[in-house]
Amino acid sequence: MSVLRIRHLYHRYGLTEVLADVGLDLHAGETLALVGPSGCGKSTLLHIVAGLLTPSEAEMQSTFRKVSCVFQEPRLMPWKTALDNIALGLKALRIPKTPRRRQAAELAGRMGLATGDLEKFPHELSGGMQSRVSLARALATNPDLLLLDEPFSALDIGLKAELYGLLTEQVGRFNTAVLMITHDLMEAVRLADRILMMVPEPGRLVREFPLAIPQAQRSSTWVYQTTAELILQDEVRIGFGLSEGDITSTEPREQIRHAGCAV
Amino acid sequence: MKPLAWLRGAMASALSYLWSGWGAVTSLLLFCALWEYGGQVYGDLVLPGPVATLSQLSMMFSEGLAVPELAISARRALYGLGLALAAGTALGLLAGRSMTAAMVSRPLATLLLGMPPIAWLVLAMLWFGMGDATPVFTVFIACFPIAFIGAMQGSRTVDNKLRDMALSYRLPWWMMMTDVHLPHVTSYLFPAWITALGVSWKVVVMAELLTTVDGVGAALAVSRTQLDMAASLGWVVAVLGLLLALEYLFLEPVKRHVERWRTEPTS
Repeated sequence: MSVLRIRHLYHRYGLTEVLADVGLDLHAGETLALVGPSGCGKSTLLHIVAGLLTPSEAEMQSTFRKVSCVFQEPRLMPWKTALDNIALGLKALRIPKTPRRRQAAELAGRMGLATGDLEKFPHELSGGMQSRVSLARALATNPDLLLLDEPFSALDIGLKAELYGLLTEQVGRFNTAVLMITHDLMEAVRLADRILMMVPEPGRLVREFPLAIPQAQRSSTWVYQTTAELILQDEVRIGFGLSEGDITSTEPREQIRHAGCAV
Repeated sequence: MKPLAWLRGAMASALSYLWSGWGAVTSLLLFCALWEYGGQVYGDLVLPGPVATLSQLSMMFSEGLAVPELAISARRALYGLGLALAAGTALGLLAGRSMTAAMVSRPLATLLLGMPPIAWLVLAMLWFGMGDATPVFTVFIACFPIAFIGAMQGSRTVDNKLRDMALSYRLPWWMMMTDVHLPHVTSYLFPAWITALGVSWKVVVMAELLTTVDGVGAALAVSRTQLDMAASLGWVVAVLGLLLALEYLFLEPVKRHVERWRTEPTS
């Protein structure tokens, strides 16, 4: 089974330490949410996992073969039509033009993109459509590890719900592992199997919250309640600056991680 | 059905493109009116008007004088230009990929750009003699830095976010080139190429005037010694006509096609 294992990851920009002793495991089929305030190093960590940054120090092991990213902004190529944007990853895998366009069009259909939209350039599409294209581009290669950098943060709740559905369907179907960044706790509670809380200065993981109920069985009520309970946790309150205080746990982090929480 | 629709679309857009040329035609005609006025004031000996010039030009064409000379000049200009665009664009793209290379080559390109073509011409006459190589080299060296700087600027300004995205999708190097860099760089290249095209014609005529026995420049030298103003202006008009035709019938439509992702189609 594919796994991503990170231990003792440190990263510095110049003299500033942005990540300190970060460690996590991610297995196939699992969704892991990294939550934390802005500037806590979540994006840096994701960029490292995506291979876009080399950490200053780390023990990293990944057996995932196909990694896809969805970024906060859609990041579509303005000179490619929606269809060719979706097919980008397939082109990188050297799939010939006709089959890759057919595959992309089929996926686009499932993602709720109309046939007429596929020949449009990104600037002719609405923001919501661009987000769909961006997600479709990531899913087109059937990745075994999907990295999400707050891709839903600028979307309205209806569109969010729809894209959540598409995402979980894909994850269920292909046993994809997902590492997602969000500062929206409710989103994390809705989608993740485990939530990791990060705090800044330097960016580190302070607590893990495993979620007891499988993703498919979560009702809206459960999501609201769990989110509310999560917000009452000390690490979360202090991390997001809702309460005064320091997170000065001297216990080895591994122990805290496996202690879990009752939510 | 589909090719037919495509053909119809292409024809419609070609017609609308030509139709959009009326503005340009109007401004050219206005210029001709001013020219005609100047001609009437100063007389045919000093400044023959557009009518006299064009009739002289059409005579040159019908006597078979114009086409061979224009072909010779065009060949030299396009050889030099082609070489400059190929080398300048390729090297500029490479230089843009590295900060160091860009910093090193930028002042050199400025230096080349600032060097007057006439100075190169003198050097080229000494190096290559009075043959084809002199005008071709001068055109090359005058156009090279224009293409180089355009390509380097384009290559340096590629959106980092798009590049990160492309890297995260493990795009192979050739796709990084064709799918990420080139489409962006093109929007910097086209204006540079159009400028280089204009420069190539100016320089080739100048080089021929001083060094060769054929081509438009040489013909201009002859008409000057004969004090034939109408013929001189005729040659100038012929060169400018070719330049306008190349830019507006070839480069501009290509540019519009390549950059159709920028704006909505107008029709």
